[in-house]
Amino acid sequence: MTAELKRKRAEGSSSRKLQKLSPPVEDEDTSAQETDGDAQEEQDDGEDVEMDNGEEEELEGEWEGVAHLRSSGEKSSKPTGEEIRVIKDASDLFRSNTFKLQIEALLPNVQPKSKRKPPLERFLLSFHTFLSCLPDVPQEHPLEASRRLLKKGVSVPYPTPPPTEDTQWKVAFSGPTDITLVGSWANETSVKAQGESSYGVDLAVEMPSSLFQEKDYLNGRFFHKKAFYLATIAAAISNPKSGFNVDVSYISTNDDPRLTKLVLKPRADGSPNDFTKLNAQIHIIPTLSSTDSPIPLHRLSPAHANIRITPESYSSLNTNLDNAEDPSKLPSPLYNTALLTSLIPKSYLLSVHAIQQSVPAFSDALALLRVWANQRGYGESGEKGVSVRGFDGKGPWWAALLMYLVQGEEPTSAGKKLGRQGNRKPLGKGLSSYQLFRAVLDFLAKHDFENKPVFVKTEGGHRYSPNEYLSTHDIVFVDSSSAVNLLAGVPLGSMKLLNADARKTLETINSSSTSSGDPFPEVFLRDHRNLHARFDIVIYVDLSTAKPRKPDSHHTLDSGSASNAVLASISSVLTQALGNRVRTIAILHPTPRTRPLSQAHPTTSHIVHIGLFYNPVYAWRQVDHGPNSASDPDPVAVEKFRDLWGDKAELRRFKDGSIVESVVWDVKTVDEKTLIPKRIVAFVLNRHFGIGEEGVRGWQEGFDGILRLPEGVSRYYVGENGLGVAAVGFKAALRAFDGVVKAIKALSSDEGKDALPLSVMNISPTSESLRFTSVFSPVPLPHSIASVLPPNAKYTSPMEFVIEFERSSRWPDNLRAVQKVKMAFLEKIARGLMERVKGLRAAVIVGDVTGVDEGGMEDVVRLEVIIEEGWAFIGRIWHDREAVLLDRIINDSTSRLPHVTRKDKFQSQRQGKDYHTAIQAREAYTRLYTHAPMHHRVIAKLFHQYPAFAGTVRIAKRWFASHWLLGAAGDSVSEEAVELLCAMLFVKQEWEAEADKDKNEDQDKQEERLMVPGSKERGFASLIQFLKDWKWDEQGDGIFIPLYGSSIASVSKQPKAVATLLGTGVWKIRTAMDEEGVVWTMFGPDAVVARRVKALAQATWQCLKGMEMNEVSERGGVLSMFDHPTDNYDVIIKLDRSLLPRYHQNVSLDQKQLSWRQKSDKGELAAALDEKIRPGFDPARLLFMDLKRVYQDTFRIFHDTFGGDQFGIVWDPSLKQPRPFRVLGGFSFCAHETNPTESQGKKSKDKKLVFLNEQGVLGEIERLGRGVVSGITLNVEIDNMCIN
Amino acid sequence: MSSSASIHDFTEISISYSNSTTHYIYARAHVSSQKATNSWPLGRTLFLVNVSPDATERDIILLLKPFGTVEKVIFDSDNPVEDVEDSAAEDQEEYEEQGGGSPDDEEDEIQVRKRRKLTTKKVEPPKVFQLPSTPLRKLRKTGQTVHVVFLDTSSLDRFFSASHKKPLPWPNSSEEPSGLSHYLALYDSLRPPLDAVRQHANSAMDLYEFELAKSKRQSKYKKGEAIVDEDGFTLVTRGGAYGQTVGGGVTVATKKFQETGETSERKKKRPHKEKTSFYAFQKAEKQRTELMQLKKNWELDKAKIEKLKASRKFKPY
Repeated sequence: MTAELKRKRAEGSSSRKLQKLSPPVEDEDTSAQETDGDAQEEQDDGEDVEMDNGEEEELEGEWEGVAHLRSSGEKSSKPTGEEIRVIKDASDLFRSNTFKLQIEALLPNVQPKSKRKPPLERFLLSFHTFLSCLPDVPQEHPLEASRRLLKKGVSVPYPTPPPTEDTQWKVAFSGPTDITLVGSWANETSVKAQGESSYGVDLAVEMPSSLFQEKDYLNGRFFHKKAFYLATIAAAISNPKSGFNVDVSYISTNDDPRLTKLVLKPRADGSPNDFTKLNAQIHIIPTLSSTDSPIPLHRLSPAHANIRITPESYSSLNTNLDNAEDPSKLPSPLYNTALLTSLIPKSYLLSVHAIQQSVPAFSDALALLRVWANQRGYGESGEKGVSVRGFDGKGPWWAALLMYLVQGEEPTSAGKKLGRQGNRKPLGKGLSSYQLFRAVLDFLAKHDFENKPVFVKTEGGHRYSPNEYLSTHDIVFVDSSSAVNLLAGVPLGSMKLLNADARKTLETINSSSTSSGDPFPEVFLRDHRNLHARFDIVIYVDLSTAKPRKPDSHHTLDSGSASNAVLASISSVLTQALGNRVRTIAILHPTPRTRPLSQAHPTTSHIVHIGLFYNPVYAWRQVDHGPNSASDPDPVAVEKFRDLWGDKAELRRFKDGSIVESVVWDVKTVDEKTLIPKRIVAFVLNRHFGIGEEGVRGWQEGFDGILRLPEGVSRYYVGENGLGVAAVGFKAALRAFDGVVKAIKALSSDEGKDALPLSVMNISPTSESLRFTSVFSPVPLPHSIASVLPPNAKYTSPMEFVIEFERSSRWPDNLRAVQKVKMAFLEKIARGLMERVKGLRAAVIVGDVTGVDEGGMEDVVRLEVIIEEGWAFIGRIWHDREAVLLDRIINDSTSRLPHVTRKDKFQSQRQGKDYHTAIQAREAYTRLYTHAPMHHRVIAKLFHQYPAFAGTVRIAKRWFASHWLLGAAGDSVSEEAVELLCAMLFVKQEWEAEADKDKNEDQDKQEERLMVPGSKERGFASLIQFLKDWKWDEQGDGIFIPLYGSSIASVSKQPKAVATLLGTGVWKIRTAMDEEGVVWTMFGPDAVVARRVKALAQATWQCLKGMEMNEVSERGGVLSMFDHPTDNYDVIIKLDRSLLPRYHQNVSLDQKQLSWRQKSDKGELAAALDEKIRPGFDPARLLFMDLKRVYQDTFRIFHDTFGGDQFGIVWDPSLKQPRPFRVLGGFSFCAHETNPTESQGKKSKDKKLVFLNEQGVLGEIERLGRGVVSGITLNVEIDNMCIN
Repeated sequence: MSSSASIHDFTEISISYSNSTTHYIYARAHVSSQKATNSWPLGRTLFLVNVSPDATERDIILLLKPFGTVEKVIFDSDNPVEDVEDSAAEDQEEYEEQGGGSPDDEEDEIQVRKRRKLTTKKVEPPKVFQLPSTPLRKLRKTGQTVHVVFLDTSSLDRFFSASHKKPLPWPNSSEEPSGLSHYLALYDSLRPPLDAVRQHANSAMDLYEFELAKSKRQSKYKKGEAIVDEDGFTLVTRGGAYGQTVGGGVTVATKKFQETGETSERKKKRPHKEKTSFYAFQKAEKQRTELMQLKKNWELDKAKIEKLKASRKFKPY
């Protein structure tokens, strides 16, 4: 069986090659049709392929013959065996046909074009001759040599510790013994990097062994000699006489001066050697012969101490040199690795080549892997942007990773010690590129790099003992061909991030294609490097002032540069300090850039970004416990804890009697609690590295600010002035609601004469304030506070609920009568509540905002309850018979013969007014009574499951609102739709089952949640990222959110006709309860608004990116995302800020406007506003709704629900053209131009055309909004006129 | 007609809202058509087009006061008419068609109407106690049409003979508030005193029960009696009172059939199953079509990718 499989694979590979070589298959096919002989050949071919059913093949051949006789010119003929093989391969070896084709389409875009290569080859040829003929430089003192080269404009990049005047040894140059093209270019595995980076052509220049001595491994002497060698070559090339038209510069991998190489960038001159079009640059890497170098390799083992000097002993450098073994010296693993790196290029070239020969799909798989990694910031960052630390110049590692999976693992004693059985089984050699890629992801997702070292299988075993690696390196991945730990110096956090990314990608690939669409773009084409959507919190750190508290000179020398040492210790200190609060600490910064030859050492960028993934269980813990000093006297641990925290650490006695070293973070508000991780980072960086407040920044406070009431209002609630009420916020609102529920239930179980005739079954809340997702934390408005608040801050939002009575047959069978019964019920409840509950006020609302409805069919009767503490509620009665009655009207089953089925499409147009009312009422019924309570329950559950969910929704709502697009009514985005969109970022299939389990039970599940945003900022950024790319117009059936588990599979189907008849919305958000996905998006957003959302999301995304690059200030940066541009509105209607009850919620609030009674001339109206508390009274919104309704065919109007002080109006573009006179034009018109600036030439009257009377409309608006509207501005460049 | 501007046969009347803004109303004498069921008196009815959305009856009476006394004002949008989008102005008669018994939205109208309806009843029905109402402006859609019936024909002539060059001021009656005070009044009027609510609800229910009883008395439909229409056909319905079939013994269609027009699944005949892989040629053909399908899908996928390629979607960065 396996043998057969192998054969198949082998054939698959050969077929791929064939395909490449031969002209397109179709051509072959058509030519085959021409003669019978060819057809015969083809048939033979087919037999070769599918030996199992050779018989049928033959039959096919016959049939083909017949087919040929019948229609010889027919194009679509039977596929050839070759084709069948390709097709079968695609579906068997790849994820799907399209996936394979997409991979094939992708690869040429990331690989260099072969037709542009000849100039480079010509250049390399002449360069080879040039290098071989370089004149020798006699031995000289290193400093002297550097002074000589400096005159030529080249400084020698001596790494620290630099040679001094006392240095005894000499540097020299003689022509290279070998010049080889190595690396990815030579193996043709180059993959384009992010940004504008070029392909790198690595040229290994082997330095003659005669230049080195045995002791050169000590104290960087080898690196100094190498630096001089490189500088000499650089000087020679940059000399104009060399004849090369190239820019020469230095670049240091990982900003490590020891790994400096030369970069040659061609200048465009049109000569045959000019390879600018190839977009490549040549890297010159000095190497050492691995066979005859005098440096003993056993001296370079990881645990060997090769740096024998300290800064204090700089002066006594020479005396120290011969002081051979000093047991007190510390090992220098990074230094040793850097030295070993000079040995590997050639062996690496050979091993990759070997594996390319045995594994045909190796190159493609590597390319896919590199593209995947580049999209996630593991590679070069390009001009703008940042990369994950530690992955610069890790090309060999990616190849080695693939090699490891194909070849398997070397058995090591260390591996056995760690309790692992056997080795990793090697993968088959015939796997497709996609399969290899998946295998790598699988490995990355599952492997624990922290505890399990990796040794790639080699022949003859590894050079150094595995234990040596383990004791000196954090992460061990040792290549087969060398002794180098390819992951030396990579922080653990980066590996964890890689692990998370791999897991996320696997999830995308594994998810069924129906729910999430094509995974290909998500895996390979999308840029995942955005920090805000990637990390729960991003902290921006300026290292320019960093001064380690306890500088470790040895570590600095081992790391190669001070900044590398600082970053490494930041990483380890943060890991200690944050502990299990976070899952991953990733450090990101730009990758090194080239520097001119005159600059010896790399300038490291001082800005790094620290990205954290929270562990939601522990992230906001207020107390950190240290060692218990009393019971477990471990002075070392206590000392360590004290050292980490400094003054913060204190000895505390806890409830259980233990006395423990601990650190306490004081918080006053919930907002501050979420800031604890950032505070810890700031504290640690300040204590250990001396970085001040200004050097550590996050964006969290900015987001918190927009969800908070202004200080001028909130101070009345927190107890200043002796007016404070104790209870504000969601919890208090819920408590108040529970009180009301209890009171109503008590009323229904009462026996008195006022008792309700039916008992209350259920009272379900449907308000966002009762499910933690309202933008502002809810506040009550008791009289004591209302009397001191200015009129433009006196707003309380009533919270809605639904009352469900027990079923009864005594309800009338008539919709209008049902409304009257509801009225009677509510009146009874209101009266009862007022009698029983002290200070409670209740009223029955008999109509909606448009006025008292006299049709009597719509369900508008509501109960308004205001309790003494100032909380307001609005309740409705759910009567399920209404649905039947409404359906009866809609289906019109009473007025016609019931057994006649009508199926005409124009039915709706011929119905009377009742029909339309019924349709609307039915939609409202479904939404209010079926979906709203259910939605409320599931969202409230999400809040408890995902700590960041509610915050995300609140920011998202604020964002939609501040861009004038949020609103329950009309064509805007409904609040529930926003909640659903946010839920999409959090929930996965089966989340409910997960939620029901114990939180700490399942570690795996915990890990899974890495993908779920852990902070509201990340949630918001992810939402924006989604909105910016969402192609709602291309996906026919919208998006599906597995919000409701499979438990509610049997959903009562709602009549579809009703749902789709009314809808103008274009978004479709489906859930298990709402198969059509239109309940919350039926009326909006329509196409216009949806396009607006997309454009705004794109702008906001740019803004987020700007914040990443620190282009905008902290608070302003966040605010600018909520700042709505008003230029694109035709008319702006300004509202009177001093009278808007919600003005205090305005996103860009003018605090001065909130001052008490600044306008007394409004007298009468202000007094009317003040006289009593009107929950939910918002004249701006009422006017907005009226204008929207009255002028629905004239203009589009937009407004910010949260205290927006402007309306924006856009005229209907179709009204810009004059149109013929009509009685029912649906807009205010006049028969002549009102705008004097328009050309006078048009004599419209003769043509009987009418125009929109803009001025007239604005006049009407002003009249309708008397007292609310304070001014109207036309947004016309020429004539900027103001009324009023 | 007159010296004032006109379009089609409409006279333009300019209304000044303020110093700088002018509104235009177009007027014409009402022309009756045969189709119209409920027409207003010819000769003294004025048809106004493009009336302000916030106009009240009082506003219009005040506006037309200089020309004569207005008997009544009818806002056409309150009486929905069919075929709203008939293009030319000439067809305007259509709009005047009255939607017979459809309930009236107009708030002061309804009271009149209800009372009128009630008075026609033989037995005195219970009176509905109305909710207290404050005069409120009703905002209708912009560009509405209005019929105004003058008390006498001379007013109409006076109206058309007058010159409308000089804009008339818009009489903003202060009876119904506008702007912020409108919204305040609306908010408060939506929350009437509980006593009023109780009385209203109770009286409305009384009326409902009264009418229910009356319709029961009047109903032709009685238990056990068959309904026979003018042509002598007996109506057979499913169910009937207490689950008995009216007319007895006749099997009728299921409810499902009535609603969907589909018969039950049971009766569906199973399609005859043909042996598909009996003969060698069948086998071969099947395989051939399978392969063809495979290739077809492949080509389709290929075309899809080519299309994506053309839109440069495969440039990762």
